Amino acid sequence: MDLHDIALTVGNSGLGEWMRTNVRAMPIVEALHVIAAATVFGTVLVVDLRLLGLPDLKRTVTRVSGEMLHFTWAAFGLAVITGVMMFAANANTYYGNTAFRIKLLALAAAGANMALFHFGAFRTVAQWDSKQVSPRAAKVAAALSILLWVGVIFVARWIGFTKGYDFAVPDNIDLDLTIP
Amino acid sequence: MNTTSRFRRISVAALLIGAAAAMPALAHHSFAIFNMEQTRVFTGVVTRINPDANHLQIFFAPMNEERKGVLRSEDGKPVVWAVEMAGSAQAATQGVSVSSLPPGTYISVALHPLRSGEAAGSRAETGAIFRCPDKKAPEAGKHCDSVEGRLAFGEGALAQPKN
Repeated sequence: MDLHDIALTVGNSGLGEWMRTNVRAMPIVEALHVIAAATVFGTVLVVDLRLLGLPDLKRTVTRVSGEMLHFTWAAFGLAVITGVMMFAANANTYYGNTAFRIKLLALAAAGANMALFHFGAFRTVAQWDSKQVSPRAAKVAAALSILLWVGVIFVARWIGFTKGYDFAVPDNIDLDLTIP
Repeated sequence: MNTTSRFRRISVAALLIGAAAAMPALAHHSFAIFNMEQTRVFTGVVTRINPDANHLQIFFAPMNEERKGVLRSEDGKPVVWAVEMAGSAQAATQGVSVSSLPPGTYISVALHPLRSGEAAGSRAETGAIFRCPDKKAPEAGKHCDSVEGRLAFGEGALAQPKN
């Protein structure tokens, strides 16, 4: 079972059918996805800016990240759930959509960047927790994080305007009108 | 402000929100990109359905006049047209869905073509989509609405070609 099969299975599921045929489902789920994305980006941005030495420096890095990350993870969970729901509504089309694929790659890159920071520069945080200037590695991670999340939002919005008109004909369709 | 008038205000606000929520079904963008004066009627083989939340699209390969094959360009590739309509959930209320019109199905549909000349059009106010029984093409020059056992998705007869 390859990725396309998995996408088709998700699309053909009861969830997909419900999302496609319920007049209120898509607008509500879409709104929740926007709220989730705004919360993820907003809280990540506060932490990244602190690492870059911009917001309220009276707060230590660990305090800012400690306060924000609960919201980040909760909102990310909501974003994944609502994202899967929207994907299920039209899985085959999203699967082949370039903007959608770039979005997933950008998300993976943002996650990898976060993990690298967490297991790298962040381990020595005790030494620079209350300082305005973070180590270079932390600042690079923060700047990259902002860029990647902005990228995620941009390509995500692109999906909605590039998912139409695909005139390609699948191979398995009989166009010679053979009578069985 | 007393309780009654506050309640009234909240009720009015709730009504307005409810009305706004119902609006997308009624008022949408203009149809300026389509030539609404022109109507083309096709019978063809469904190649793909894109159940988009904003505009469901059906892609199909139109049959030739004899209904013995599909139209092909000079290089032998099938010509493919797209017809688009309301969002997938609205279309589902007429029975139009990925499962009711799977690839390979024979359908007849009337559409207003794009002004740009691209092979696509709008189904707005062109009557029902008719589905032929499996593997039963209509007689030459005719459409699925003439075939016994056909299904209709939506209201009204198949629109007549115009201009």
